[in-house]
Amino acid sequence: MAKHDATERDAVDRYTGGSLGGSLPDNLWMHVGLIGSIALMSLPIVLAALMSTQSVSQIYEVTNLAPGGQGVDNYTRALFEHDLFAFMINSFIMAIAIVIGKIALSLLAALALVYYDFPYKNAVFVFVLFTLMLPVPVRIVPLFELMVNLDWINTMWAITVPYLASATAVFLFRQHFMSIPASMVEAAKLDDIGGIKFLIYVLIPMSKGMIAGVGVITYVYAWNQYLWPLAVINNKENQVLQVGLKSLEGTAAAGQIEWGLIMSGAIIALIPPLIVLVVLHKPLLETFGLQQK
Amino acid sequence: MARIQLENITKRFDDVVAVKDLNLEVDDGEFIVVVGPSGCGKSTTLRMISGLESVSEGTIRIGGVDVTGQEPSDRGIAMVFQNYALYPHMSAKRNMTFGMKSAGSFTDEEIEERAMSAAEILDITDLLGRKPGALSGGERQRVALGRAICRDPQVFLMDEPLSNLDAKLRVQMRAELAKLHDELGTTTVYVTHDQTEAMTLGDRVVVLDGGQLQQVDSPQRLYDFPENRFVAEFIGDPAMNMIAVDVADGIASHPAFSIPLPDGDSLSVGSAVLGIRPEDLYLADEREATSPETFEATVSVTEPLGDSLLLHGQIEGHEFKIQAQPRRTITPGDTVELGYDPDRLHLFDRDTGEAIYHSDPTASIAPSGVTQ
Repeated sequence: MAKHDATERDAVDRYTGGSLGGSLPDNLWMHVGLIGSIALMSLPIVLAALMSTQSVSQIYEVTNLAPGGQGVDNYTRALFEHDLFAFMINSFIMAIAIVIGKIALSLLAALALVYYDFPYKNAVFVFVLFTLMLPVPVRIVPLFELMVNLDWINTMWAITVPYLASATAVFLFRQHFMSIPASMVEAAKLDDIGGIKFLIYVLIPMSKGMIAGVGVITYVYAWNQYLWPLAVINNKENQVLQVGLKSLEGTAAAGQIEWGLIMSGAIIALIPPLIVLVVLHKPLLETFGLQQK
Repeated sequence: MARIQLENITKRFDDVVAVKDLNLEVDDGEFIVVVGPSGCGKSTTLRMISGLESVSEGTIRIGGVDVTGQEPSDRGIAMVFQNYALYPHMSAKRNMTFGMKSAGSFTDEEIEERAMSAAEILDITDLLGRKPGALSGGERQRVALGRAICRDPQVFLMDEPLSNLDAKLRVQMRAELAKLHDELGTTTVYVTHDQTEAMTLGDRVVVLDGGQLQQVDSPQRLYDFPENRFVAEFIGDPAMNMIAVDVADGIASHPAFSIPLPDGDSLSVGSAVLGIRPEDLYLADEREATSPETFEATVSVTEPLGDSLLLHGQIEGHEFKIQAQPRRTITPGDTVELGYDPDRLHLFDRDTGEAIYHSDPTASIAPSGVTQ
C-alpha cells in the first residue's frame, strides 16, 4: 500500500513539475521570467486603473502610485457628463449587430460552399478569401462615397453593414462543416430535410463552439473600431465609444489635461470586451485548436 | 415491403467504372447480402439503390416503380450507416423521430407510438433520453436501427453496420439482426466485406468483384458450388487451395500426385486448376482413408487455432493449406501424408477461371452451364 502511494505521488509530482522543495532551482528562473513578462504586459492597464482613481494633481506627482480618492467622481463624470454611457450603448448595438449579421451571413455562405454543388465553387471560395486583402480601412474612400449615395451617413447602417461580410468566418465555418461526417448529411437527405432546416437543427447545434469563438473575435474587433466610425459618424448621438474616448482629451482643468478622467474612460471601454472574453474563452480557444489543461 | 429490381446498372466515376452492367432481383422480404473486397462496388450499388448516388445507366425499380430518377426521400427506404450517423446533440429518441417530424406526414401521436414500439423491439426504452455520446457502440447501433425501423420503410439498406463494433458485440448484433429480420420481414440489402456476416445473415449472397457480379446464391451453394475461382477463393476461410493440373480421361495429374475425378470419366480438358479446401484435406493417419490416393507434403508452417491445426505444406514447391485435427505434434520440416475428400473437388478453367467441374454427387443441382 505504502509503495502504491509513493508511486502515485511520484506520478503527481511528475505531472505538476515536481514538489516545490525538490525542483524549485530548476524552475526558478523560468518563473521569474514569466512573472516579469506578465507584470510588464499588464503594467499599462494597472497604471490606467490606478490613475483613473486619482485627481489631476495626484497624477502629475509621478511617484505617487497609491490609489487616489477621486475614482467614483472620475467614473461618473466620464459616463454621464461626457456621455460615455450613451456612446457605450451605441458601441454595444453596433458590436452585437455585427456579430449576429456576420455569423448569420457566414453560416449561409459556408453552407452553400460545403453542401451545394454549383459551377466554379472553388473559384467562389477563393474570391471570398481574396476579400481578406481589402479590409474596411483600404476601402474607406469609395465606401464613404457609397454611404453618402445611400444616405447612410450618421446611421447605424453605416457602421454595421460594411463589416458583415467576413472571409475569416466563412473559412472557419467551411472547415468545420467539412469535418462533419458526410453520412449525417446523407441521413438528412433520406429524411428529406432541406438545407435551411439542416443548418438550424443540425449544423448550428453541432457548431456551437465555433460560433461562440467567431462571436468573441468579432465582438472584440467590432468594439474596437475607430477609424471608420470617426469618418462616417459626425454627430454626437450616434457616435461610438472608441471615438467618444478621444473627445475626453479636449477636457482640461486649470490648463492641465484630465488624465484621471481619460483613464477612467479607457477602463470603461475595456471592460465589456473583457467580460465577453472571460465568459467565452473556452470556445475561443477551441476555435483556434488550442487546448487548456 | 417490396421487391427490388436492378436492370443493367452501370456507374461511372469519370474514367473509372465502379459498377458494370449489374442485374439483380431481390425478392419481397428477402435478406440479401452483398459481399466483396474493398473497391468492388458494393457500397456504390447500395448507394445507387438509396438514391444518394446517381445511376450512369440502367433502371432501378422498388416495388415495381421505376425510382431511378427519384429523390432518396421518395423511395420508401431507410438506411443504416457504418458510423451510425446519429446527431450528437440530440437524444436517442429525437434522433429516431427527427426525420419523421420534418417529413410532416405523421401526427405527433403516431410518431410517439412508432418510436416507442421500435424502442421496445430493440430493447432501448431506457436509453431514449440519452445522447449518443453517453451510449456504447452497440447501443448507438440499436438507436440507428431504431431510426430506420420507425419510418416503416419498404426496404432497409445497411452499409457495413457492424464494422465499428468489437468482435464479441458483432456476433451478438448479427444474431439480433437476423431475429429482427424474421420479426419485421422487411426486404433488406446488407453490404459487408466480412464473409462470415454474409454467410450467416443472407438468404442469398451476392458476390461482387471489380464492379461485376460474380455469383448470387444461397450461402451453402456458394461454398459448395462456386461458379469461378474468385468466388471459390473469396468464400471460405482459410481460402481454397488452387493447384495447376493436367486433366485427361477423368484424372487430374500433377508431378506429385494424380487424382481420379469421380464421375468425371469423360473429362479431358488439358490444363486446368484444381481446387481443394483446406478443410477437405486431412492427414492420412487421422481417419480411415476416403480417397483412393494419398500424397506427401512437407510442412513449412504450423498455426494452432485451438479447434484445429492449420498446416502450410509444400508439394513440389507449391503451397497448400491443410486443416488438421488439433493437439498434434507436428513441426515445420516434417513430412505428412495427406488424404482428401473425393466428393469435394473443384476444377476451374485456367484462363477464364470459370468452374468446369464439381465432384459433389449432388452437383446435379449445380448452377447451369457447369459440367459435372
